[in-house]
Amino acid sequence: MFVALITGLATGALYAAAALTYNVMFSTSKVLSVTTGHISMLGGIFGAWFISTLGWPIPVALVGAMGIGAVFGLLTDFIAIRRVLARSDEHLWLLSTLALATMVQQAAGLWWGTEPKPFPRLIPQDFSAGLGDQKYWLPIVIAILLAMALELFYRRTLYGKLFVAMSEDAFAARARGIPTGRIRSMSYVIAGAMGGLAGFAAGQLTFAYFALGLTLTLNGFIALAVGGLGSNAGALVGGAALGILSAVATYFVGGEYQQTISVGLLMVVLLVKPAGLFGSQSVRPV
Amino acid sequence: MHLPKKSISILVVLAALIALPWWAGDLYKLHLAALICAYWVLIGGLNLVVGYSGQLSIGHVGLLAIGSYCFAILAGTHGVHPALAIAASGALCALCGLLLGLPSLRLPGFYFAMATLAFALIVTEITLAQGTLTGGGVGLAVPGFAPPFDTPRGTYWLILAIAVLVTWLTWNVARHTWGRGLVAVRDSAVTAQAVGVPVFRAKLTVFVFSGFTAGVAGALFAVLQSYITPDTFVFDLGLFFFVCIIIGGRGHILGPAIGTIVLTALPEMVAPLAKLGNFFYGLLLLAVVLLVPEGIGRVFELLIERFRPRRGESHVVKPDLDRLAKAIEQGRAQ
Repeated sequence: MFVALITGLATGALYAAAALTYNVMFSTSKVLSVTTGHISMLGGIFGAWFISTLGWPIPVALVGAMGIGAVFGLLTDFIAIRRVLARSDEHLWLLSTLALATMVQQAAGLWWGTEPKPFPRLIPQDFSAGLGDQKYWLPIVIAILLAMALELFYRRTLYGKLFVAMSEDAFAARARGIPTGRIRSMSYVIAGAMGGLAGFAAGQLTFAYFALGLTLTLNGFIALAVGGLGSNAGALVGGAALGILSAVATYFVGGEYQQTISVGLLMVVLLVKPAGLFGSQSVRPV
Repeated sequence: MHLPKKSISILVVLAALIALPWWAGDLYKLHLAALICAYWVLIGGLNLVVGYSGQLSIGHVGLLAIGSYCFAILAGTHGVHPALAIAASGALCALCGLLLGLPSLRLPGFYFAMATLAFALIVTEITLAQGTLTGGGVGLAVPGFAPPFDTPRGTYWLILAIAVLVTWLTWNVARHTWGRGLVAVRDSAVTAQAVGVPVFRAKLTVFVFSGFTAGVAGALFAVLQSYITPDTFVFDLGLFFFVCIIIGGRGHILGPAIGTIVLTALPEMVAPLAKLGNFFYGLLLLAVVLLVPEGIGRVFELLIERFRPRRGESHVVKPDLDRLAKAIEQGRAQ
């Protein structure tokens, strides 16, 4: 039972990190990108490749994985977001990010192989550590650190305040002389680096697996919708709730119905409180 | 008897399709044609949801799977007559569409897409979990149709007939009040509501209809596959249906039909594309979204407009001189 809880918390932390990535991209562009999970997938795969195949030292590999994530984030903005937002059709960004995510997943599958491959140890530790094993606490620590860093960034730095201004009202921010296009690209780079870091840290839990992206996109989104869109604390709580619930359900019912239960949680929350636990009420349509 | 040009071309295409078994050559091409028709049964219904009412459902493969398993279990395990089993698959999937649509159609765009994606994953999970019913990972063998349709040709003709019927149904929906209302819902739900379109009911109705066609398509698909496992219904297949519609053009019927034919046939004919698979679909989708968001159908329309001389634009002024002269004379006389 305790093992199930810890595993659930660790998986939930990864979902929370994906939800945070969603949040950063959403704050400046109002776009929920389908590529969110794929950023972390790339972080995991490239991290494993850098360390195992190329033999890079771990800190360099970490920076490399975050760099890959950042580049992919920038590419997402460049290819799938910029032109589509300029045309301002409501649904098109969903299609363009979905297309990009599909291409990246297939390319990763062709290059890396469709089998999950093991992720190397990051910190020298005995395998007998049990529940204190790094594969459990690394994602949890990273998710909490990310959320705290984001809060600090939003509250203490000028650029963070620009992000907040854009998320409140992008049009007014532009009128105030904020280069909204550049800030948006920057948010995608930051989100990419965050996703890469999360994927790298959770690599030992998830393995370096090409199909991780879609699962993570879905579950990160569920964590986000449960916690409330735009709220970082909500993302943490939502991720933890989702992870623990599915782990406990797996413990009692069996692993076959994991997806069903997580979606059930989403539906219940959306029916009871459509804005999520920590979210603000949505704007009137007219 | 005078027939308009459009009816003649429709009749010619229909005749060519019915005669396909004689000019297709080998059985594999016939099988491919039947597969395209089975896909079209689903895509035609989905087109009303995605193309007309603008609800981006990427998880219709879940409904397809339910239809296939329903047919396989009823006709295979329990020996129900295939025609009855097809109808049952359609009815069951319409019910599933209703249950899925009731909560999820109230959600905004991205939420809805994610809900349908989750639905597809849930169906896969349940088919794997309920091993006694669905055979689990091992799968199920699917029986063929009843005697007049049990040959490859008969199967093809039956599927073709259903596909034509679905096309006719969706065409009827699309070109009348309903279709206009759905397009209004797609372009601006608020405006549609303001002019009296029952937004939620309209969306739910077409979604349930698309569920029905997905169920029927599932039964046909299962017969063509002749053996189904959960791996037959990967998420990529759902993406494929979706891409066919977007590439063909939203708010058309012919566009998605051409999209279905080309996208099904192309990977079979060109081997390297089959290996790339999803990458190719993603690339196509990205190109279409970035370059022609209205779809390939729109490109053809533009080309036709460009190269065909427009009728009804020359306004030759022919003054009625006699009448004018009379009027002037009358004026002088007074």
